[in-house]
Amino acid sequence: MTENSDDITELRPGLWDTVNDRYPGSMITKADLIPLAKAAKPLSASRLTFVSTSGVQRRGTMPFDTVHPVGDYTFRRVPSDSKPGDLEIHQLKYPTVGAKRDLNVIFPIERLRDLVNEGFIGGLTDNFYTFIGYNMDAERLERTLAEDIAAAVEAEKPDVVLLAPA
Amino acid sequence: MSLTYLKEAVEAGDTEKLIRYVRLHFGDGNEEAGRKEIDKAWVEALKPLLDVPPTDRAFVLKTLEERDVATLAHLYFHLHFYFVKRSGEWIHDGEL
Repeated sequence: MTENSDDITELRPGLWDTVNDRYPGSMITKADLIPLAKAAKPLSASRLTFVSTSGVQRRGTMPFDTVHPVGDYTFRRVPSDSKPGDLEIHQLKYPTVGAKRDLNVIFPIERLRDLVNEGFIGGLTDNFYTFIGYNMDAERLERTLAEDIAAAVEAEKPDVVLLAPA
Repeated sequence: MSLTYLKEAVEAGDTEKLIRYVRLHFGDGNEEAGRKEIDKAWVEALKPLLDVPPTDRAFVLKTLEERDVATLAHLYFHLHFYFVKRSGEWIHDGEL
């Protein structure tokens, strides 16, 4: 908190009320909270994986379903050694202009490799994981997609997971 | 909207809630924009038929006959976005 924090204008006043009004019942409320795990070793000795809602996927794979009214509950594996040119974005709900110029602004695959080369991160898993954020069935999202991604991530035995919304 | 909310609307026959959901989806959260998008798609679907060109009606009828209703409904949503894109006026932030 800064001294003048009271003067800061909220960019989207009443945002959550708006979401509730537009999408009644879509807000996820959970009584239980699972705290973040503490890192077992320094980042420079850790293997990292990346989970993103960016809708980035390898060219030639089944596009994320951006038209389905209830959402897409699948994920894609993106090899962590992919070149940006090997990847494309299927995502309807966020601006992709910047990401098309430089994919790293939404899916920092090259920056993560840079950090490995600099020794800041110990290494990367073979794959990263992506899905799209338009999933209106929160229960299904938790029961299927989240569990599927968790199982896939666990199989690669990363030490840390970078989670990034798009 | 949660699935529970929508299924309750189906049970109650509350079509206004259901069509609002569709408009919000097509309008990226803006109901009025969604309403215009639906109109836009139908206008674009009408245009290619005005000169009554030959169409593959056998394919259409075979598809309707042989495919399950969920696939056809999915196709319907795909067609909406197909015709909206074809109009050249794209309101969405991202892409299909």
